[in-house]
Amino acid sequence: MERKFEAYFEDGAEIPDEIVEELLRKARSRLASTLDRIRRPLARVAVIESGIGRLLAAQSIRGLVALRFMDSDDTASLLAAVRRRFDVVEDDAVAAEIGGEIERLMQGDADAVSARAVDLSLVESDFQRRALARLRRVPAGSVISYQGLAAAIGVPSGQRAVGNTVASNPVPIYVPCHRVIRSDGSLGNYGGGPERKLKLLRAEGFGVDLQRRVPPDAVYGHWVSRIFCRPACSAVRRSERRQWLIFANPERARRFGMRACKLCHPA
Amino acid sequence: MLMMDAKPKLNLPPPFDEAMHRHEREIMRFILRATGDRDDALDLFQETWLRAYRSYRQLDSADGLRPWLFRIASNLCLNRKRDRARRAQVIAGVEFNEEDAGAVAPMHDSALHLKSMLRRLPNKQRQALVMRKLGGLDYSEIAAALGCSEEAARAGVYLAMKKLKAE
Repeated sequence: MERKFEAYFEDGAEIPDEIVEELLRKARSRLASTLDRIRRPLARVAVIESGIGRLLAAQSIRGLVALRFMDSDDTASLLAAVRRRFDVVEDDAVAAEIGGEIERLMQGDADAVSARAVDLSLVESDFQRRALARLRRVPAGSVISYQGLAAAIGVPSGQRAVGNTVASNPVPIYVPCHRVIRSDGSLGNYGGGPERKLKLLRAEGFGVDLQRRVPPDAVYGHWVSRIFCRPACSAVRRSERRQWLIFANPERARRFGMRACKLCHPA
Repeated sequence: MLMMDAKPKLNLPPPFDEAMHRHEREIMRFILRATGDRDDALDLFQETWLRAYRSYRQLDSADGLRPWLFRIASNLCLNRKRDRARRAQVIAGVEFNEEDAGAVAPMHDSALHLKSMLRRLPNKQRQALVMRKLGGLDYSEIAAALGCSEEAARAGVYLAMKKLKAE
């Protein structure tokens, strides 16, 4: 009896390959068409070793979906969030591309990260998407206050909401949340730690001092009129410093297409 | 699962299409074995992969893939079997009794005989046995698929074999 069972399991009733193959042929085409209807878009993910730490990146066909510092943030929940919307594959090519861009940024090429599109599909609300899209246009070598950013998207009292949005920015560095500071001129916090914020700002030519205050030759540039002033200019004081970008120096402001104020003659 | 020094890997499961390409044969074979019917097998095969696709994001490592797929397939086969039994009950209007069914039509063919004996095993034991002997999974994979310890999987297969041999 014993032998009989073993024989049955091992080779007695082996299903012929032809039958399996024939069924597979039938099943595949049916399955493929059903799968295509429910398929999620693809995201390529990779771990990047960069000069400012180990990062997890996810890239879709539309752009960079997510970036996270792996030592200080919860990457498991990020990965879960990405996988809710995307099919993920590990792809080292992504690590090479994005790692290279960040390396160039850290060596002073401020435009290295601005060419890559970002995919904000992990961002929940329209308000948040608007804030982040606006933030992306804050140029390297300048900073803006939470209040200023809120005013720039037409919600002048929304600095808290902007703060939350910036804190949950899925694509740091590429959407430059490190360029948002407090209205009193201090740096504020950063997802990857304040040291990284300092490091990024310095790499972009925004030389904050040891007390982490705005540099002495900083100028205030008005986003709408494209005029830049000294911090003490009456024009700046009149408008409560809203809508103002703070540039590290006059030269940076000029590079962004701004002209000097005719009242205070900054540099 | 990150190593300290080596280039860190996320150990994500392979792309879904690759998983399908790698395991579709053994899954089809397994389902065919479990159902013994081509149309049923075709149906359940499709459903297994659709279900796998829908919850693929919950699978967080490459190592768990194979037992996870077998678990889905095996649960679907079980459901199908249970539904069939219920329907038979409703149609016949009497308590469905597998012992009687076996007694009414004594099976001489050894394969059919085995099938009827398999049917009488407790679910866990039968699943373990089928995965081990027909699916060719090892005990750690069976344990993962059934959500039990490796020892329990081993014991299930052993008990099932013992019962079969006793008959």
